[in-house]
Amino acid sequence: MATTQLDRPSRRGVAVRSRRRSRDRSGPTAVLFSLPALAIFAIFTILPTAYTFVISLFDWNPLNVSQSTFIGADNYRKLFAHSTPSFAASALTSLYFTAGMVIGGTAISLAIALLLSRGGSWLSGVRVAVFVPHVTPLVATSIVWVWIFNPQFGLANAILRWLHLPAVDWLDSSSTAMPAILTYSLWHEVGFTVVIFLGGLAVVSGELGEAARVDGANRWQEFWYVTWPQLRPVTLFVVTISTISSLQAFTQFFVMTEGGPAHATTTLSYLLYQEAFVFFHTGYAAALAVVLFVVTALFTLLQFRTRRSTLS
Amino acid sequence: MRKTRVAAALAVCALGAGGLAACGSGSSSGKTTITFMEAMSSGTLKTSMETLTKRFEKAHPDIDVQLQVEPDYGTLRNKETAALSASKPPTIGQVYSDWAATFAKSNVVVPLTDYAKPADLKALYPSVRDDLYLPADHKLYMWPFNKSVVIQYYNTKMLSAKGKSAPKTWDEFAATARAVSGKGNVGIAIDPGGSAGPAGGEAWFEILSQAYGTPVFAADGKPQFTSPAAIKAMNYLVGLKKAGALTLGKNYPGQVALGAGKGGFDISSVASYYYNSKAVGGKFPMGTAPLPTGPGGTQANQMAGTNIVMFAKASDAERKAAWSYLRFLTSADSQAYWAQNSGYLPVTPAALPKMTDFIKKNPYQKFAAQALTTAKADPPYPWISQAQGMLAVAMQSAITGKQSASAALGSAQQQAVDAMKSGQ
Repeated sequence: MATTQLDRPSRRGVAVRSRRRSRDRSGPTAVLFSLPALAIFAIFTILPTAYTFVISLFDWNPLNVSQSTFIGADNYRKLFAHSTPSFAASALTSLYFTAGMVIGGTAISLAIALLLSRGGSWLSGVRVAVFVPHVTPLVATSIVWVWIFNPQFGLANAILRWLHLPAVDWLDSSSTAMPAILTYSLWHEVGFTVVIFLGGLAVVSGELGEAARVDGANRWQEFWYVTWPQLRPVTLFVVTISTISSLQAFTQFFVMTEGGPAHATTTLSYLLYQEAFVFFHTGYAAALAVVLFVVTALFTLLQFRTRRSTLS
Repeated sequence: MRKTRVAAALAVCALGAGGLAACGSGSSSGKTTITFMEAMSSGTLKTSMETLTKRFEKAHPDIDVQLQVEPDYGTLRNKETAALSASKPPTIGQVYSDWAATFAKSNVVVPLTDYAKPADLKALYPSVRDDLYLPADHKLYMWPFNKSVVIQYYNTKMLSAKGKSAPKTWDEFAATARAVSGKGNVGIAIDPGGSAGPAGGEAWFEILSQAYGTPVFAADGKPQFTSPAAIKAMNYLVGLKKAGALTLGKNYPGQVALGAGKGGFDISSVASYYYNSKAVGGKFPMGTAPLPTGPGGTQANQMAGTNIVMFAKASDAERKAAWSYLRFLTSADSQAYWAQNSGYLPVTPAALPKMTDFIKKNPYQKFAAQALTTAKADPPYPWISQAQGMLAVAMQSAITGKQSASAALGSAQQQAVDAMKSGQ
């Protein structure tokens, strides 16, 4: 059907509409409409964050604020002098967990996504089964896994005994506690990242793979040189999300090990909780929170930078 | 439209008024309302607390007591601290004595000196009475509530199968625990707790150290974790672990193993009787006995449990009403009812004649009450809980073989001394 003169939008008309749209987005009406969201964000996020920074400069007494004293950067200095568990040791524990979750989680979820990407009703059922752990409550499933890892009655040791292997003190040994928590966390989190990868695989060009196969590429070469590069933006997204959530992970450490044994699972998040809500060293805990915020923000910025340079 | 607006405005006003009436304590229509934040949240503890409170309200129609029940002690402390931070504390609250020391240091609790008469104090067991004062100014800040000591629970069937009976000394205990272990059974399962807070296993370590001659805290609160007695106590536990007679766990592992018929013993509070009996569920006769003794028959036990403090924000009328309630709770009648239904021990010997039939049926109450006369509470200083958490970490390190007993205790001692210095 031919386009008539009336149907075609005039250049002037487009310019007017564009100006109006721009004015709508920055005008007082737009600000008015944004105010409720801004107010909520300010009250529940920006102000508490700023207040946390203020508290970090005080020897804060939560029971009687009038007894709080300004100590400047002393809480930040204590981060590097505080006794066991030190800030550095907890940061390393956090990095251990984060590395396990990011590297292990990304590899496992990509592998599962590749296996499930072919489709079919049976595989759809498997996709649901893989995703279901992610929607279960962390506290409830952590408790279930505490029982799985119970040295005397747990399923994990029952399997080891069945295989005639020695029982393991999963959550009560410094060397196995973190791997045990990583196992649980991967079980819980992988479903989400599998879905992200499946989304990425759905838009990967089949023609390129076909061309590679015609050129004699085997399955591995096709994945490594054709599929994987096309999944790079999705992988970066998964890595960013996994890094942030792993650095902030708390529930499983609280429920399964309480940071033990012998501080083997005391991450920065757990240390922060302990200092703030068990020992009530509020100022020190606020300094920890500020540092954790900065570390997370830096990681995220770094990953966004990498993403931008990769895309360009 | 106008009608809708008026209705909405009225609803807001009604909600606001209701909220204001519900918030906090105070006096209205001649009735004084007091709030009591506590953690008696499950089983017979909850129902007994509610019954006692109803009895009090019936006897004092001018006082309304609102129980603010928290699920556990950790949450209780957080809620009390949050309420104090918001300047809206309850009238009275359940506390461990080191919390009371922290609260008193911040001037948010008041001494009970003006209320408690010498006769009120004389009625209490001396060990219970001594635990009510804070060393900073030697004033009476607390009133007793739920008190307990530690006893041994055991699987009589498992012990008699090995020709054993309830051990009388800690050496006998170790031999019996070793004898019953193996083939999926373990002598005892314990949870030392962690850096965030100690659990029952840590309390047992404190008792062992005391039985071997030196308590882990001096009377002035100074940590004594590296004493020969403490090292001997730690090596005792390490030896049990190496022999396969002790295992670590979480969430009352001793009770779980005993209840499943897989554990020989549980060393736990007398208040666990109800929960242990429920776990065993009649599968075998559950034995109870006093704690074994140390070398030379040294008896050692720990008086655990909490007291009650009065917060400084309360008005004079509320304080007066709260004191009536506290006095009611420690009366002989109330304590007899409380002990028979909650499993805790009465804080006054005057309750014992009112519990004759109960004691006949539950002999453990008699030897536990006797232990209360000699048991010691941990000294009330702000750093004690944190230092106990450090001991729990030392136990984890030593028992799992990460460090030697003396190295683990040495490290805990250093940290506890630092905590003491910063808490003073």
